[in-house]
Amino acid sequence: MTDRAVLTTEDRAELLAAADPSAVIDLAEACLAVHGAPIVVQAPEVGLVMLQVREPVCEERFHLGEVVVTRAEVVLAGARGWAMRPGTDRTATLGAAVCDAVASAGAELSPDVIELCLATNRSRSVAAADEWRELLATEVHFEELD
Amino acid sequence: MGYAAARGGLDAVVAAEDLVRRGRTVGDSAWLGTDQLVDRLRLAVDRVMGEAGLWCPELAAAALRQAEGDPIEAAHLLRSYRATLPRFAYTEPTDTDRGVVLRRIVPAYRNPPGPQLLGRTTDYTGRLLDLTSEHDARTEAEKLAALAWETAGLDDATGDVMGDETDPEIGHDDGHDDGSVRRPRRLLEVLRDADLVVDRRRTDDPEPVDITRVPARPPAPRSARLAVMARAETGALVNLWYRNILGPDGYLHEITLGDVRHARLPVTIAHPITGGSVTIGHVRVTEVEAIEDLDGIDEDRTKFDVGYGLCLGHNERKAIAMANLDIACHRDAGASQLEQSILLTTDGLDAAGFLEHLKLPHYVTFRSMVERKEAVRAAAATSVRDAAPIDHLVGLVPVDPVEGDCA
Repeated sequence: MTDRAVLTTEDRAELLAAADPSAVIDLAEACLAVHGAPIVVQAPEVGLVMLQVREPVCEERFHLGEVVVTRAEVVLAGARGWAMRPGTDRTATLGAAVCDAVASAGAELSPDVIELCLATNRSRSVAAADEWRELLATEVHFEELD
Repeated sequence: MGYAAARGGLDAVVAAEDLVRRGRTVGDSAWLGTDQLVDRLRLAVDRVMGEAGLWCPELAAAALRQAEGDPIEAAHLLRSYRATLPRFAYTEPTDTDRGVVLRRIVPAYRNPPGPQLLGRTTDYTGRLLDLTSEHDARTEAEKLAALAWETAGLDDATGDVMGDETDPEIGHDDGHDDGSVRRPRRLLEVLRDADLVVDRRRTDDPEPVDITRVPARPPAPRSARLAVMARAETGALVNLWYRNILGPDGYLHEITLGDVRHARLPVTIAHPITGGSVTIGHVRVTEVEAIEDLDGIDEDRTKFDVGYGLCLGHNERKAIAMANLDIACHRDAGASQLEQSILLTTDGLDAAGFLEHLKLPHYVTFRSMVERKEAVRAAAATSVRDAAPIDHLVGLVPVDPVEGDCA
């Protein structure tokens, strides 16, 4: 079980990257209503991350391809907030950075941000369990023939 | 006839483009959303991403729609878009063992560690065209959707969905599941345990070639070959494999496949504030091990060697061809032009671009060729007219060289 207290900065960034975009945007709007406008350090920008993998035969690295991401960074409630989400949704990414800053500051609505992260994690786990349940039906069980 | 510079055709080009746009957007059928393409034509979308070397399902679907379903054209659109974007970071080296399997079969071994998991496939199904009427197919789809909805509602009622108060562990790299059953050991490891495979593991960790910044030319490091093949055109790789399945001894080599996986890999970068690892998303990949039976004169015939294939999305044909060509290129060691073919002829944009440029006006170059033909004819006619008639056989025999010249 994940303790709210051990939700690290990296955990938060991961879960805000995976969270439902409309939920992130709604929560970010609520944060702005409470804390005012943020300082936008890095306006939401679409760019690339090169995916570097290590293959198992020679244990060599190579570049598999690039991933489209959007990043943003703000300062709000006296804390820095950073976000990077896959895809090109600038609004949701800026919203994630706002939420990250509020949680980082431990400011008002911080528990809501944490709850959004934990709900995202639960949702992912349910989706993974559902997926695995479907996949398990495709496992081959061989029958030994005499 | 001289050359005359000309311009024009802009209105025709605009009208032609408009025909495409209207055909794509205004047709009699319902609007085609990118979500439909991602959901229902995932293999086409995956192929576009793989050949573009760019992961973004929504953009790939938009490109496929804009290209009227032409995957090479769609990959071209994505690569062009990619060229406009800054690169923020390289990921941390992602060990492909971290992939969470969605499908995993091991053709070489009946009981590998972990499951033989067929996943989403029609590999074992007869290729029969489904002729169910549109009406019946839609009715069936609606029934299935209703059933899925009811099942989800049932789960909700039992608290299995979102109502569970227990927070699962947050996996930093788990692809949504941290069970080892979804990250089974590789057959390669089993072969290593049995000392049956050549150990080519490196300890020097060379910096990989970035083929988007530096063109790969032979001889190239293996990282360049793997990167080139990862974004190669599927048909080109399959064709190259098919032409090169002869081993160094000249006999047909049919390799055996080890692990064939469709898996979800984490995309992990360094957090810019803390420096810690943060997974910002996942990509799906296809991964293949090709086991080669070594039988060359200078090879260790007591062991196997393994080739490796990995590409974005679900594209088993491509990954299998890549794994085969990886080991073939290693064994070939530059003896043939295989590496050159891999590096210089498998990129879809390179090949299709060069081919399609042939459709552009070549009026001047072709006019020049016609004039050369006319000049050759004129020269031939002149030489026939001026030549002295030869009316006996001796006249056709060349004059013997003076013997002294040969000394």
